[in-house]
Amino acid sequence: MHIAEIDQISNTGDSLFHKAKAISKLLLTLFLLTSFIITNDVVKLGALMIIVGLFFFISKVPLGQVGHLIVYPVIFSILFAILRFQQSWILGIIVLQKAVGAAMTMVLLITTTPYVDIFAVFSLFLPKLLVDILLFTYRSLFILIGQIENLVKSIKLRGGYHPYNIIANLKNIGAAIGVMIIHSFEMSDRMYQIYTLRGYKGGIPMTVALWPMKPIDYMIISLGIITLLGTVIPWNL
Amino acid sequence: MSHIHIPDGIIGSVWWITGYLIALGIIYFVLRKVEGEEIRRKVPMIGIVTAIMIIGMSVPLGIVPVHLTLAVLSGILIGPGFAFISVFVVNLMLALVAHGGITLVGLNTLIVGTEVLIGYYLFKTLSKKLGQMPSTVIATSIALIISMTMMVTMVGSLAGLRNAMPDFHLHSHEEQLIEEGHEEAIENDESPAAGAKYIFFTGWAAVIMVFVVGNLLESFGTAYIIRFFMKVRPDLIYEKKPKELDENLKIDQ
Repeated sequence: MHIAEIDQISNTGDSLFHKAKAISKLLLTLFLLTSFIITNDVVKLGALMIIVGLFFFISKVPLGQVGHLIVYPVIFSILFAILRFQQSWILGIIVLQKAVGAAMTMVLLITTTPYVDIFAVFSLFLPKLLVDILLFTYRSLFILIGQIENLVKSIKLRGGYHPYNIIANLKNIGAAIGVMIIHSFEMSDRMYQIYTLRGYKGGIPMTVALWPMKPIDYMIISLGIITLLGTVIPWNL
Repeated sequence: MSHIHIPDGIIGSVWWITGYLIALGIIYFVLRKVEGEEIRRKVPMIGIVTAIMIIGMSVPLGIVPVHLTLAVLSGILIGPGFAFISVFVVNLMLALVAHGGITLVGLNTLIVGTEVLIGYYLFKTLSKKLGQMPSTVIATSIALIISMTMMVTMVGSLAGLRNAMPDFHLHSHEEQLIEEGHEEAIENDESPAAGAKYIFFTGWAAVIMVFVVGNLLESFGTAYIIRFFMKVRPDLIYEKKPKELDENLKIDQ
């Protein structure tokens, strides 16, 4: 799922979007998603997609690396689009536009905001332990991705992976995942001991700097509000 | 396996907001029920199981277009309550990378969470009488069938998937003809749509086939992992029950 690439883009980017606070980008995401959900007009949806495209341009996100993430929803929504195409081709296009638009919005957020900053904002309204689980998951992902890649590579090198022999693949991948789980459980015990030594009593302290906001934050929030208003207001041009 | 890859904007707001509220309510309940040291000790483990579920989805199984989700396995390893939280986090993280709608996280969690719950209790019940392989296969398979049925019913009723059925428009046409008193026209109908029932494979049958393949892969994939644990670390499956463990090992041998 290219989590490492996304993480690298969001942490090393130096655009205006990258410099803005997570809260302002989350608010922008909220406004954009609401706009995509409530709009049922091809032209408005097209305009919204252009706006998000402009945000991508400003944020200098390398679409070559993450553009495929926007393609997934097209595949997932194709069944619903076909269904709507039977009624009217415009309805089919609307389904595709909504899917791609919402995906673009999420990809924009995740490529301009590090996961940890997003989780920090979540910590304002989600239970502390749930946010801890999000952080532990994020940490474990990077450790385990390396492990599973090595395991799959060694299975392939030893002739244990055949594209057409699913049963053999299942047995070998099952054993590889089993090894990984056993290692990870040992790792989780160590993690707990280390965190306990550091004074962990549930709720990893996170800094959520909501204030003072910079001009770019006000600009991003304003753009979100204007976009939503532009979606709600009926246009008679 | 049965999580919904539906993009945002297709299911009505009332439904996905309700889904979120119920899912978060269950999470609050689970976290409140298990207080103090036990939950703190489990937090890294839940994080790891969640990461394993996400990674399991990205492991290729060959030419088939499905992946493992390991939802039932996570229930067996950490219990259904914690696994429910894992499922929520998996769905949330996938939604953040546009792999399924962010609005669908709550509903997806409820569906896969049900799969976890059913799979866990079926496994616990069956493994007392059968060996690990058959009990895992049966438990996972039944849990998947139930969650998949839930998913199809939900999508069908909330997103109007009934219209996607290959024979839906044909039947509508037939009903109209019957109403107008042209029953003979149905028998003599030579339009391409009339043959739709004979090319049913292009519709639901194809979906069912993918589901059957996915179900088999998930069931046997989970069973192979459980079998591996029984050889190497049986305590992960049967914690604090040495007598039961001995009996199950005898059955497997």
